[in-house]
Amino acid sequence: MSILAEAFALVFQPYVLLVILAAAAFGMFVGAIPGLTATMATALLVPVTFFMDPVPAIAAIVTATAMAIFAGDIPGTLLRMPGTPASAAYVEDAYKMTRSGRAEEALGASLVFSAIGGIFGTIVLVTAAPVLAEVALKFSSFEYFWLVVLGLSCAVFVSPGSVPRGMIALIIGLFAATIGIDNPAGQPRYTFDNVELLAGVQFIPAMIGLFAVSEVLRFVASGAENPAVEKGGRTGVFRKQWTNLKRYPVQTLRGSVTGTAIGALPGAGADIAAWISYAISKKFSKQPQKYGTGHVEGLVEAGASNNGAVSGAWIPALVFGIPGDSITAIVIGVLYIKGLNPGPTIFINQPQLIYAVFIVFFLANIIMLPMGWIAIKAARTILSIPARVLMPIILMFCIVGSFAINNSPFGIILMLVFGVIGFLMEENDVPIAPAILGLVLGPMLEQNFVTSMIKADGSFLAFFERPIAAGLGLFTIAVWCIPLVMLLLRRGRGGGEGKPAVDASDRIGD
Amino acid sequence: MKFNDLLLGLLVLLGGIAIYVSALGFTDIPGQDYGAGTMPRAVAVFAALLGLFMIVKALVAGIRIPSLDLADWLGSRRSVLSVLVALVLVVFYIVAAPSIGFVPASLVVMAVLMMTLKTKPLTAVAVSVLACVVIQQAFGRLLLVPLPRSEFLGFLW
Repeated sequence: MSILAEAFALVFQPYVLLVILAAAAFGMFVGAIPGLTATMATALLVPVTFFMDPVPAIAAIVTATAMAIFAGDIPGTLLRMPGTPASAAYVEDAYKMTRSGRAEEALGASLVFSAIGGIFGTIVLVTAAPVLAEVALKFSSFEYFWLVVLGLSCAVFVSPGSVPRGMIALIIGLFAATIGIDNPAGQPRYTFDNVELLAGVQFIPAMIGLFAVSEVLRFVASGAENPAVEKGGRTGVFRKQWTNLKRYPVQTLRGSVTGTAIGALPGAGADIAAWISYAISKKFSKQPQKYGTGHVEGLVEAGASNNGAVSGAWIPALVFGIPGDSITAIVIGVLYIKGLNPGPTIFINQPQLIYAVFIVFFLANIIMLPMGWIAIKAARTILSIPARVLMPIILMFCIVGSFAINNSPFGIILMLVFGVIGFLMEENDVPIAPAILGLVLGPMLEQNFVTSMIKADGSFLAFFERPIAAGLGLFTIAVWCIPLVMLLLRRGRGGGEGKPAVDASDRIGD
Repeated sequence: MKFNDLLLGLLVLLGGIAIYVSALGFTDIPGQDYGAGTMPRAVAVFAALLGLFMIVKALVAGIRIPSLDLADWLGSRRSVLSVLVALVLVVFYIVAAPSIGFVPASLVVMAVLMMTLKTKPLTAVAVSVLACVVIQQAFGRLLLVPLPRSEFLGFLW
């Protein structure tokens, strides 16, 4: 009980609460602007959290992320331009609701069911994480090796675009992770006699480059103007939501469960959770023909799902130190910088910190309701800020943020290099998330792989000798086989049964 | 700037070979068969296999010539110029900020980029000054980041 009291004392301080409120406003703002993602919100926030104690730092990231994922629905609903990829799944329905004058109802549904999904995911996180941590204490390098490989594989296989392109991203991330002196033999690798590179590729400038600078460059290249905002009517944000909840209880629960489960899978996050939940919702709906025409049902399920995933993604991050998505990948980087090594021992050494994180999750999802209401009401003003003014300011934030990590201009150079790489990757439909996961998990993969190989005396069979390692290994191999199975299924159907089969093969084999 | 699948496969394959060759010089942990070269070599093999797969797949699909597809924005002189300006401005900041200080350097970066993106000069300068002071106060004063100082603007710190 004293641990819980200590956790409450850590969170309920005026400073921490103020940080939460400010982060909520920041997350709302970034999420609401089309093209700026929740990951970018986190990336821009990290240099600031760098100067905070662990609890306010994590509180800021948790709150900003939850807000940004919801706020991504605002431009999706009003402009048909999803603010974050997680909102893209149901953008058609939300926008059509706006066209028929029900914008506030659509956004209210996103808001309320996001909060429900987020709270559900948090409850699962609170109950599952300590139990899993007990199990994780028994893990050896073999189990960790497979967990990392599983996380990286999921990141590749669920990323948007084709699997080979996801693999290219992973290779870029893993290669960047090999740079520096921090390796089993302690030999400088690919440092070109640069002292700053000895410590490896600094994670935060790389990430700011990949997520934020690349976005600025893309905007500059496209020169797009702000589109006109649909009117959308005033139907009340919360008025219809109780009816929606009573009408779709199964959908709400199913979305929350699916989202949390997908989030908890290492390597898969909110984006894919929303797509899968929308598809599930349509499949089991009594009115599947209404999907895509301004029907709120899919919005309810997928909205609950993507915020459930945000909480769920923290389970592998805290328990194993393996990120569930690119946002938790950033968080893990922050935790390491703060000297907190995520993994099962954090539950023993600093349980008050873990409980404080749990409390922050609840707070973030509750504060989302009033903040979301304000954001919905202020949406038109936020969306009218011209991007041509905003993007240069964001670029400046990127520069200062990259500098602030080591107080060295080298961070800015790194940011620029990764910004250009990220820009080229997006131009070629190479997803960014696997690269970030590769960069974060690369050292862990290397350490556990080399340790395991030495322990096993070079025998690969040893990777399957311990029961949990064998289970994880087989599961990972099963994930690798998915494209093959899909290909065989398509061949089995003769490949001529219409568009869906062709789409599937394009995604896998392209 | 879009690489076609054949060119992308070739690049990945060549990248893999380059990493493998460069990793041959890394040393092992004394008394072990593994060391600094293990991971780069594994990444290299993965890259080479992926490259080969992509090449074969592209050839089977009938693509014979590696090519680079120029994106729409590369056709527009204005877009190319804007991207170049953005990149040059970041380099300008890296080079100039230590000598002229954060405030003038960041003002130039923001105002010039805004004007390149067709913002009215007066708006661009006004917003840049405001943003510059906010960033300087937030990072320089509140978070104590040692942003490069300008002698004549010492009062801001």
